[in-house]
Amino acid sequence: MRDPYAQYFEEMPCYLSVHDRDFRIIHGNQRFRRDFGEQGDYCYRAYKGRDSVCDGCPVEKTFLEGAPQISEQVLRTRDGQEIPVRVRTTPIRDEAGQIVAVMEMHTDISESKRLQEQLAHSRQRLAQLFEEVPCYLSVQGPDRIIQHANRRFRETFGPAIGEPCYRVFKHRDEQCLVCNAQIVYREGKAFDHEEVVVSADGREINVLVTTAPLRNARGEVEAVIEMAVDITQIRELQSQLTSIGLLVGSISHGIKGLLTGLDGGLYLVNSGFERGDEARLKKGWEMVVRNVERIRSMVLDILYYAKDRELEVVDVDVASLVGELAEVMEKKAVDGGVALSFDVASGVGTLPGDGKALRAMLVNILENSLEACRAEMGKRDLRVTMSVRRLDPWMVIVVEDNGVGMDRETREKLFSLFFSSKGSKGTGLGLFIANKIVAKHGGSITVDSEVGRGSRFVIRLPLEARPSTRPNPELAPLSAAARGS
Amino acid sequence: MGLRRILVVDDDPDIREYFAAVLDDHGYEVAGAGDSAAALAELDRFLPDVVIVDVLLPGRSGLDLLVTLRRSPRWSATPLVVVTGVDQLLKDDCQSYLGAHAGVEGPDAVLGKPIHPATLLAVLRAIETRQLAVS
Repeated sequence: MRDPYAQYFEEMPCYLSVHDRDFRIIHGNQRFRRDFGEQGDYCYRAYKGRDSVCDGCPVEKTFLEGAPQISEQVLRTRDGQEIPVRVRTTPIRDEAGQIVAVMEMHTDISESKRLQEQLAHSRQRLAQLFEEVPCYLSVQGPDRIIQHANRRFRETFGPAIGEPCYRVFKHRDEQCLVCNAQIVYREGKAFDHEEVVVSADGREINVLVTTAPLRNARGEVEAVIEMAVDITQIRELQSQLTSIGLLVGSISHGIKGLLTGLDGGLYLVNSGFERGDEARLKKGWEMVVRNVERIRSMVLDILYYAKDRELEVVDVDVASLVGELAEVMEKKAVDGGVALSFDVASGVGTLPGDGKALRAMLVNILENSLEACRAEMGKRDLRVTMSVRRLDPWMVIVVEDNGVGMDRETREKLFSLFFSSKGSKGTGLGLFIANKIVAKHGGSITVDSEVGRGSRFVIRLPLEARPSTRPNPELAPLSAAARGS
Repeated sequence: MGLRRILVVDDDPDIREYFAAVLDDHGYEVAGAGDSAAALAELDRFLPDVVIVDVLLPGRSGLDLLVTLRRSPRWSATPLVVVTGVDQLLKDDCQSYLGAHAGVEGPDAVLGKPIHPATLLAVLRAIETRQLAVS
């Protein structure tokens, strides 16, 4: 009867072989012989077609160390097929305990190798997806520390990993009052919200954020993933549309008021004619002229607002600029019963700026002061004064009136778009544009005012050209006449 | 009872002057006020039969003034005409603003700017006719 163990050895569903100290294969089971040939050959030749022992040979190691070894190898079968295998060796000892041979068992691991590669590939693919998703993606731990962040996130918010989210998103040192990630930890479900975050270079970005829990195998929320989409452009567009809507409403309201003023002027002119009442005729005509002038400046404001033009910077001669203003505003002041005076210090010299824009800005401020006086009914001795001083590094222009003055709310909203305290007359564009022009020149406007006492506007314009107000060498200095056009 | 005394509340002196000229030419007596506070002072002095008020005034709005008058025992019955250049405040929306003030009756008429002299006079005559019919 056959030795059953020999049969088991023979039938084992793996490669089984026994090697001597010379690396000769002294036994091999059926499967082994099928793929690597008959026994008697050197294992390095049978496995790899080599002429000498392989580096890190597990058989050699087993002989040396006297202990079983496990490793992975790639073997080549007789027909040239390469098979990845897991190798286990065990020493075979004689009665005296000497190692006389080493038994080797090779298990085919091609399938698990293939799965491993597939897994690595999927992982890489996932990492690539995370990395390249065209939105800001980050993972935060319960301690609010950012654990992962994709490329777009890092490009916008800086390295970020290892930093707390509130520092990265808001540049603040304390956590936010409402922490959306903490809500996800608490409630365990995803939700959307919108907020404004700040990029590494200080830009405000409107984002739509989806925050979702990342759970471990036990179902506990281990981290929170945040996906933020930049919607700044959409929001900007929206606010522009809102502005346009407001503008249209404001313009139409302003025009209706001015048309009513024109109607009034026409009524007085016509009835004055009919009755031969010269005083009435004159009053009516003045009303027409005043309202036509208001329509003109309103249209100019609208045009300025509609076209956000670049400054055409030259060296503006301040004294002649003020001279022009005096000419333009004189009539208006006399009509309103306001004493308008100008006080320009000698040698104020020039200022780098856009002559037309500066003129429009000062006209707006002066008109505002004249209106403030006109609105102050019954008061005598109404005045508006404009003074100009050169106080390095600024050209300081002060426009002062003793008109109606402003309460705090009016003062604070003064330069906002479409804010008007003039009731039926204002479009709310004039001072907004004046402020914009001054800001573009790198200057500032401050206001001091009290109800019933009047207002004082202080305009500071830098004497030194800034990047936005560096004189354009292609533009010749404008003459006073050209500026006035 | 005729409506003779008209108080015009508008911050634009041109518009006050315009209304004053038209109304004066047609036998009305007119007083003007530039804002709500001045209007309240003028009411007791001038004792108007009708108040014409612009919606957008510096400080308290014209609708605010309307609510005050409608709730005052002395002026609740005085006809009130609202003048506005703001489309949204015309007609229905004017009512919906006042809807927030429960029980307050809306203006007797709303005039949208620009306003022709004939329209202004027609509105006053309509109010007068209505009052005569009631009495």
